Amino acid sequence: MDNNATKPRFWKSLNLLANKPESIESTRHEFQKGVTDDFDLNALPDKSRRKFLAVLGASAAFAATACSDYPDKGEIISYNKKPSGVVYGHANYYASSLNSGLGILIKTREGRPIKVDGNPQHPINAGKVDATAQATMLDLYDPGRVRYPVKKSDSKLILNKDEMPKTDWERIDKDITEKLKAASQSGKEIAIVAHSVKSPSQEKLFNEFVLKYPTTKFYTYEVFGNQNKLGAWEKCYGNKNLPVIAWDKADVIVALECDFLGTEGITVEQIKQYTTRRDVDNAQNFNKLYTVEANYSLTGANSDYRLKLSPEYQYDFIMALINEIAVKKSQSAANLDDSAMSRISQYSISDIASKYGLHADKLASMVDDILHHPTKTLVVCGNSLPEECHIAANLLNEVLGSVSNVYSDKYEVLHRPINTLAEFAQLSAKMKSGNVGVLIHFDSNPAYHLPREIGYTDALKSVETIVSMIHLENESSEGSHYILPVNHEFESWGDFMLRNGVLSTQQPVIAPIFDSRQKEAVLLNWMSEDYTKYNHDIYNQYIKAHWQEKVYPSANTFSSFDEFWYSCLHDGIFTWDEVGIPRAAFNAAALSTTQNSLSKSGFTVILTQPHYLGDGQYANNGWLQEVPHPITKVVWDNCAMMSPATAKKLEVAYGLDKLDKISDMIDLTVNGKTLRLPIMPQPGMVDDVIAVDLGYGRTRGGEVGTGVGFDAYTLMNKSGSKIYTGASVAKAGESYELISSQEHHSLDEDFVKDFHLKRHIIQEFTVPFYVEFEDKLEEAKSRLKSEFGDDREAYEKALKTEKIHLLGHHEYQNHSMYPDKEYPGVKWAMAIDMNKCTACNACVTACNVENNIPIVGKEECGKGREMHWMRIDTYFSGTPDEPITSMQPMLCQHCDNAPCENVCPVVATNHSPEGLNQMTYNRCVGTRYCANNCPYKVRRYNFFDFRNDFKDGYYRKDTLELLNNPEVTVRSRGVMEKCTFCTQRIEEARSAANIKGRKIQGSDVVTACQEACPSDAIIFGDMNDPNSKVSKLRNHSLGYHVLETIMVKPNVTYISRLRNTNMEDTHSGH
Amino acid sequence: MKKTVLDYALKVKLPFTVFIILTSFAVTYFVAKPERDGVGYAPEQPIKFSHRLHAGDMAIDCQYCHTSVEKSRHATIPSADVCMNCHAVARTDKPEIVKLTQYYKEGKPIPWKRIHRVPEYAYFNHASHVVNGIDCANCHGDVREMDVISQVHSFTMGSCLDCHREPQKRMPQMIGNINNGPENCNACHR
Repeated sequence: MDNNATKPRFWKSLNLLANKPESIESTRHEFQKGVTDDFDLNALPDKSRRKFLAVLGASAAFAATACSDYPDKGEIISYNKKPSGVVYGHANYYASSLNSGLGILIKTREGRPIKVDGNPQHPINAGKVDATAQATMLDLYDPGRVRYPVKKSDSKLILNKDEMPKTDWERIDKDITEKLKAASQSGKEIAIVAHSVKSPSQEKLFNEFVLKYPTTKFYTYEVFGNQNKLGAWEKCYGNKNLPVIAWDKADVIVALECDFLGTEGITVEQIKQYTTRRDVDNAQNFNKLYTVEANYSLTGANSDYRLKLSPEYQYDFIMALINEIAVKKSQSAANLDDSAMSRISQYSISDIASKYGLHADKLASMVDDILHHPTKTLVVCGNSLPEECHIAANLLNEVLGSVSNVYSDKYEVLHRPINTLAEFAQLSAKMKSGNVGVLIHFDSNPAYHLPREIGYTDALKSVETIVSMIHLENESSEGSHYILPVNHEFESWGDFMLRNGVLSTQQPVIAPIFDSRQKEAVLLNWMSEDYTKYNHDIYNQYIKAHWQEKVYPSANTFSSFDEFWYSCLHDGIFTWDEVGIPRAAFNAAALSTTQNSLSKSGFTVILTQPHYLGDGQYANNGWLQEVPHPITKVVWDNCAMMSPATAKKLEVAYGLDKLDKISDMIDLTVNGKTLRLPIMPQPGMVDDVIAVDLGYGRTRGGEVGTGVGFDAYTLMNKSGSKIYTGASVAKAGESYELISSQEHHSLDEDFVKDFHLKRHIIQEFTVPFYVEFEDKLEEAKSRLKSEFGDDREAYEKALKTEKIHLLGHHEYQNHSMYPDKEYPGVKWAMAIDMNKCTACNACVTACNVENNIPIVGKEECGKGREMHWMRIDTYFSGTPDEPITSMQPMLCQHCDNAPCENVCPVVATNHSPEGLNQMTYNRCVGTRYCANNCPYKVRRYNFFDFRNDFKDGYYRKDTLELLNNPEVTVRSRGVMEKCTFCTQRIEEARSAANIKGRKIQGSDVVTACQEACPSDAIIFGDMNDPNSKVSKLRNHSLGYHVLETIMVKPNVTYISRLRNTNMEDTHSGH
Repeated sequence: MKKTVLDYALKVKLPFTVFIILTSFAVTYFVAKPERDGVGYAPEQPIKFSHRLHAGDMAIDCQYCHTSVEKSRHATIPSADVCMNCHAVARTDKPEIVKLTQYYKEGKPIPWKRIHRVPEYAYFNHASHVVNGIDCANCHGDVREMDVISQVHSFTMGSCLDCHREPQKRMPQMIGNINNGPENCNACHR
């Protein structure tokens, strides 16, 4: 009994449980021993908490009394000598080029670049740049950039930037020129590893460098190059003048594993040309896009018909298609001899269709369309497909006779052929054997990009002198003896020639922010007799000299060279007519040597190009990491995309049955190398195919980029191929937090199935339906006209009813509890043409840059706290096997009856007289009622001061302040924000109009997303102006508002997408 | 002694009420003092530039120095080279001009003390006001009378709105020539 009484039933600690007497005693006192003793301030140790607080209190009191000068407002610092052309508060624009050779227009404010868009005069990208280029603004100001040249004396690795000893350029120049000379004299190789050459002046420099240092060898590489395509072209046509495709000329496009709308080639140009044939007012002229692919690419998501085919069968498929066309076309196909014909005739399309489970109706439709438009059909293979597929596709285009129609007379200029991976393997061997004296990384990262089988990283250890000219620390600079910071493209001089007849110029728009130099100028300096005479202008002079000699004479101008040069710099381009080289005849023999190099076994792995990270070099750019993958919507990671059936077979899952956002990991083994990575079941993928984005998993990718995702370069073998068969997959038994901003609904569940269609969020029709509709509408118009005569109002009303009826919509009555508000002046509205939108995300990034949108990081994205004002929603319909994807840019709809406004307790969000739903940050107290009440979920809340919160304030460091757009408030913690329709641009335009003494017009304002949209799908303007494009689209038969039945009266009109499919297929809209 | 309701009212309620009233008055008085809005703020400038001398006595136009007031959001403080247009030759021996010349020669900008400021989330546009005929003096006072520049009017949102709502009150000379200013948030905040 006693024993029981002393033993406690609940215990607070193990000591109490053990009935220790001192513990029981201590529970009887309120305070612990010694806590209540008096204390003597002086007797306390130097840094005690109490002393600290005492001192803090005293100093606060002193500070308070000392700060009697509270009205102090700081200083205004003006220039000492103001540069001409700068007006405070006005932006200056400069034409330049990206290092990819595309023309840009850089917006600068008071001498600092803040925004980049395409150069409208540039013949290639015509005023547009992609998401990656939009966000390179951040790279310029990246606090992680190498800030000064470094010479590493010992072999210790430089891991921390702070450990880097600072060295001056002159000493480094002296060291390296001596080493270069020594290497030349001793016959050791000087190897310079660079990306592919796009600049004529750079090519000249490379050649001259070899003259100065004869043992120099340049090695150029490109991970996502078009080597296969080029090789095939050379075999078929005997030259390396790969023609540029005129995408707008093709009526039917058959894209074979080719993501020309997403990642391959110059996407902005391709999107623009492709979508010119997607004009709703000319529906008859719509092109038709077929994709045949295994990976679910953005092009596949945009296509009218998508056929699923594993890449091993692509060659057979093309050959079968040639056979089918050649037979059906019944005319002798382009100079094919009997042996070729006999080879082709082995392949039968019906066999292949049944063998590989191709959708028979889609295939029949494809063959039918090709046969109807043979000379206007473009068959194009993706860069990842092996050479034989490209050869077969070339032949198919020849057989169709479309070659002269779908290729333009421009061709891609090849300044210097890319080195093969075999040559890199030789380099690696030479490095190991000590035959390379000096190795220079010319703004490249071979240790990360080259297949690991080549053993480049290992070989680095045996090189005497390694010089890394880099922007950010990378895998190749690890262990380099010299690290030389290079200028960003906005700080550089340059010229680029991507195609015949087009030269673009590059000029610096800001002096180098850090102690960096232009990479070409550094080489030039090492070539000069006296390296101490370096100045920042030497490469500019070099380019000028080259232009004077080579370009100026062909300009045939009466103006002096200087005038010519400055006018070129001003425009950013110089174009001239150059007669294209006549295309050589097709060499049918090219086909005879081909055979399918891929054979199906096990799993197939496709290594894909990341959408926004380039080849991984933009890993440190948080903006780009945070743009969701357009298909999976995964942020801050890559993953193994596989079909839901494959995932089921492997017994792995994402989210659904398990914890939200948790993905199972798999061990993917290819070429004897294993990579463990999370999976994402993606409807539409071909079974047993796994697609992994490259460019992630950087081990030295800067503070932001290191360790994001998984490095799929490790899976490559030394062929550098992007497609591997015979892979094996095992469930790893581990899970991983993978953040996707997409809620993955089960497509089969009745409640959510086709939710977006039932709710009219997405309305789609087919081209044949719409063409018929237009005819019926014309008929109805004439009928109603005779019926109503002069009664305009009744006619309009009847016509509207007729339209609704013809489109198969339900008519509903306008019952709003609010009276209609008058907008007498301008009323802002936007229209988004879903026929043109390809979900490229250029608008999203442009919005981020324009509106100072913070980066929140993976963890916060996982909580749904991403701050993007604009997003692209993806909806799937159909079955998980054959999904139909609809994508929709979503932003604040600026509703006339905005539900967010009437719940704000402090009127921080309200309506402007021009129809804008305004958000006033300084008034917002952060109740978040508005976000809760927004039907479109476009309001974003600053749960933190994200700039401070992300990576210990990485994006608040010194240089990043320069990045902010001075016309937009930088929001702080605790306020709500959302799309403003670029109100800063509206106000600037209003002021400009005011100065000119007129009222603002709709055409004065271009929003950031509109400016960036490669296909001009976004139209902004005044809906009260009956002649404006936006008001016309608002009244378009296909125009609709998302969730219009809830009567919030949005001001963003979406134009229904027309799918160019057959009448009986997709018809969704009611 | 029994405590009455009166006792309670006199001893507790009254002092408490009086205290609250006094505190409110005191706080309101100090908060609402025009000095708190910066009115009367006239700090010492790095160079004792006199607007009375330049704009008043010599009648140099405001826009000779404040060049972009009709073009841009900012009126702009002139860069040192604007001063040197004249002072390269004029009065080069005066101590203040010697200071100016030194700044100019050393390539240093002059750290002028800021007098008028609106918060960074408010985007005031000089050009929009000036091109519509609103005189500088309406906000900045008559600088032609000031040796040391000081703030004359309040720069709070209230004072902006006073004028946007009833411009004729502040500028009776402009009656009939001026419309009310915008009152929507985005006019100033973005």
